[in-house]
Amino acid sequence: MKKHRGELEIDEDIKLESANWKVQRVAWVLMVFVVMAALLGFTGNGGIGNLQRLKAGSSADGLEIEYERFLRRGAPAEIKVKLAPSPGDSLTNLRLNKDFYEKLHVERILPEPSEQFTHEQGITYRFASAKQPFLVIFYVKPDGMGSLPLQFSTSGKAVNITPFIYP
Amino acid sequence: METVIRGLLLYVFLMIIFRVSGKRTLYEATVFDFVLLLIIAETAEQALGGEDKSVTNSFLLIITLLLADISLSLLKQKFKYFGKVLDGVPVIILDDGKLLHDRLKKVRVDEADIMESARAMQGLERLDQIKYAILEKDGKITIIPKEQ
Repeated sequence: MKKHRGELEIDEDIKLESANWKVQRVAWVLMVFVVMAALLGFTGNGGIGNLQRLKAGSSADGLEIEYERFLRRGAPAEIKVKLAPSPGDSLTNLRLNKDFYEKLHVERILPEPSEQFTHEQGITYRFASAKQPFLVIFYVKPDGMGSLPLQFSTSGKAVNITPFIYP
Repeated sequence: METVIRGLLLYVFLMIIFRVSGKRTLYEATVFDFVLLLIIAETAEQALGGEDKSVTNSFLLIITLLLADISLSLLKQKFKYFGKVLDGVPVIILDDGKLLHDRLKKVRVDEADIMESARAMQGLERLDQIKYAILEKDGKITIIPKEQ
């Protein structure tokens, strides 16, 4: 063991320690960035000004999706879908790809679809409507991680969104 | 499998975050440090267990954490420098009666903290009775008094 001033046995390594101090300062700056990113919504669960709340498609075309760009695994989230009623049919179809029900745990759908069935391409929900544009809210809990490509389609239109799921 | 990954992830994360926060951050110098520690423990608990409250899960988690700890201590024993990087080293902050102000600033310790330790451990009354003060790896300040 090294001796300090010939008497104090101490394993001092001031070079290592000053390097450590520098690393600490850099880490504190990084921590500030993380908190700011969280405040701006980059880590999911809202954020100042709802910057990460995105819209895809347009209600004029009969299909608009409102969703959060960043989701968290196991944390409740909602996806809002604005639909125009299909002209011919009494029920309006909304088709979703397989990932939707495989990687998201669908907790509740408001309004409840009158019918739902799965097929090779994914899942189809059939909603009754009052012959005017209506809103469907999906309450979901993500099960997977990473980018999740979702496709929403009605008889005439398809919209793709890709939210990201944090672990 | 997920439990093991969760445990290891949290272990590594906590180690890094406490290391870069500095030695004094969670050394229980004030009541609030203690409260902070409780809050962090509670927060970490949620990430560890998830929704799985089974006995298997908690056994697995405990084994994972202990194994991580044992492996790390073996590594530290084998590679001394690795241990130094991971745990830090003691720093002399009062050398032969003189305060080392630049170091005090870096480690966020002041005269009052040194005197607190001097009173608690050695029953000293004045700063000039101290020969060496050392900030140890765990954030504690140890005091060596001058010989009378």
